[in-house]
Amino acid sequence: MAKARALDKRRKAIRNIRKITRTMELIATARFKKAMDRAHAATAYTRRITQLVADLANSGLEVKHPLLEGRETVERSVLLVLTANRGLCGGYNGNVQRAGFARAAELRASTPKFELQISGKRGIAAAKFRNIEVHETYTHFEDKPTFDEVEVLANRFLEQYAAGTLDRLDVAYMCFENVSRQYAVVETLLPLGALGGTDDQPTTTQAQYEFLPSAESILEEVVPTSFKIKLFKCFLDAAVSEQVSRMVAMKAATKAAGDRIKQLSMAYNRARQTQITGEIMEIIGGVEALKG
Amino acid sequence: MAQLQCIVVTPEETALDEQVDFVALPLYDGEIGIGPGRAAMIGRMGYGELRLTTGGTTRRFYVDGGFVQVASNVVSVLTNRAVPASDVDAAVAAEHLSEARKRTANTEELFALRERMEQQARAQMRVASRAK
Repeated sequence: MAKARALDKRRKAIRNIRKITRTMELIATARFKKAMDRAHAATAYTRRITQLVADLANSGLEVKHPLLEGRETVERSVLLVLTANRGLCGGYNGNVQRAGFARAAELRASTPKFELQISGKRGIAAAKFRNIEVHETYTHFEDKPTFDEVEVLANRFLEQYAAGTLDRLDVAYMCFENVSRQYAVVETLLPLGALGGTDDQPTTTQAQYEFLPSAESILEEVVPTSFKIKLFKCFLDAAVSEQVSRMVAMKAATKAAGDRIKQLSMAYNRARQTQITGEIMEIIGGVEALKG
Repeated sequence: MAQLQCIVVTPEETALDEQVDFVALPLYDGEIGIGPGRAAMIGRMGYGELRLTTGGTTRRFYVDGGFVQVASNVVSVLTNRAVPASDVDAAVAAEHLSEARKRTANTEELFALRERMEQQARAQMRVASRAK
């Protein structure tokens, strides 16, 4: 009896776990949809900024800005690693950390002053576990990073870059390509390199724009804005990827729990049957003994 | 009557996309009014009130810097924030202003930053007072 009961107990426990993982999957799905919508909305803005830059370039303006050009010697660098606040999302945190910490080691070796900043409790815990020095941590970015929150960070980086206390900014995050494909990347956001609009085919509508106050002044404003939006996009991508990873992980967990329940049911039935057979044999044995 | 298509985009969402008769928005040095048939332009925006007039009714928004692009009767406003004027809180803005004024500004960058924060707060207070 003991074995069958133990099996039944385990089956019940796994049923409860399956309920939880299924609920988490549903929650992650709902959150993913919301995060996805936000990412889409942000794309509208990015596209228009790109269009604006293309129009500026078409007007014969040379796209030049201190933020676009790298420094000759990189003295101070910052690496921002975007991880999740929660676990149970498959390889999401691990992958970002692996990419981020590898780059951190490189930067630490190559630049005299290096700062590591981590967003997300998981990454902070991992850095602590590995005895990696972290200079700044953020835990307030959840699945809905707002532009206001990100802008605060972005403004600080811009200020530091302008003041010369920062020569290079890298961000490690999970890039969201589509629902079935996300990958950890480390991107250099400062210096910006190119304003993502150079590879666009020239627009057919060649309107002659009037610039208020001037194309240069607008460019001066566009470059920081596109840095901000890039950083914001990193956060959005990270949020979307996290939800996708959690969705996939929880789906797999639910399925694994179902499989396990099937196995246990089979073992349980067999154990019960063995027990019943045993009891019948005993009874028959007893009857036979009495007859004799 | 000819109409303008006005699109207001923030990094978080497309706040507005509709047909209007007239748009007034804050440029870096003052207000500009845009009617149908405006020549193509790109402008840098300041902080202040965006007004949309459709058939005699006017709606007001607070916009927080950014750019405006006008081409073939489409006005695209790219801004960090677009808040309906009725949602702007004058008390909070006043607090921001006093906070901004307390900041030290001993370098040029810090001074520019403080200047910007003050302008933002003042614009918010102005928009809030006009919304009443």
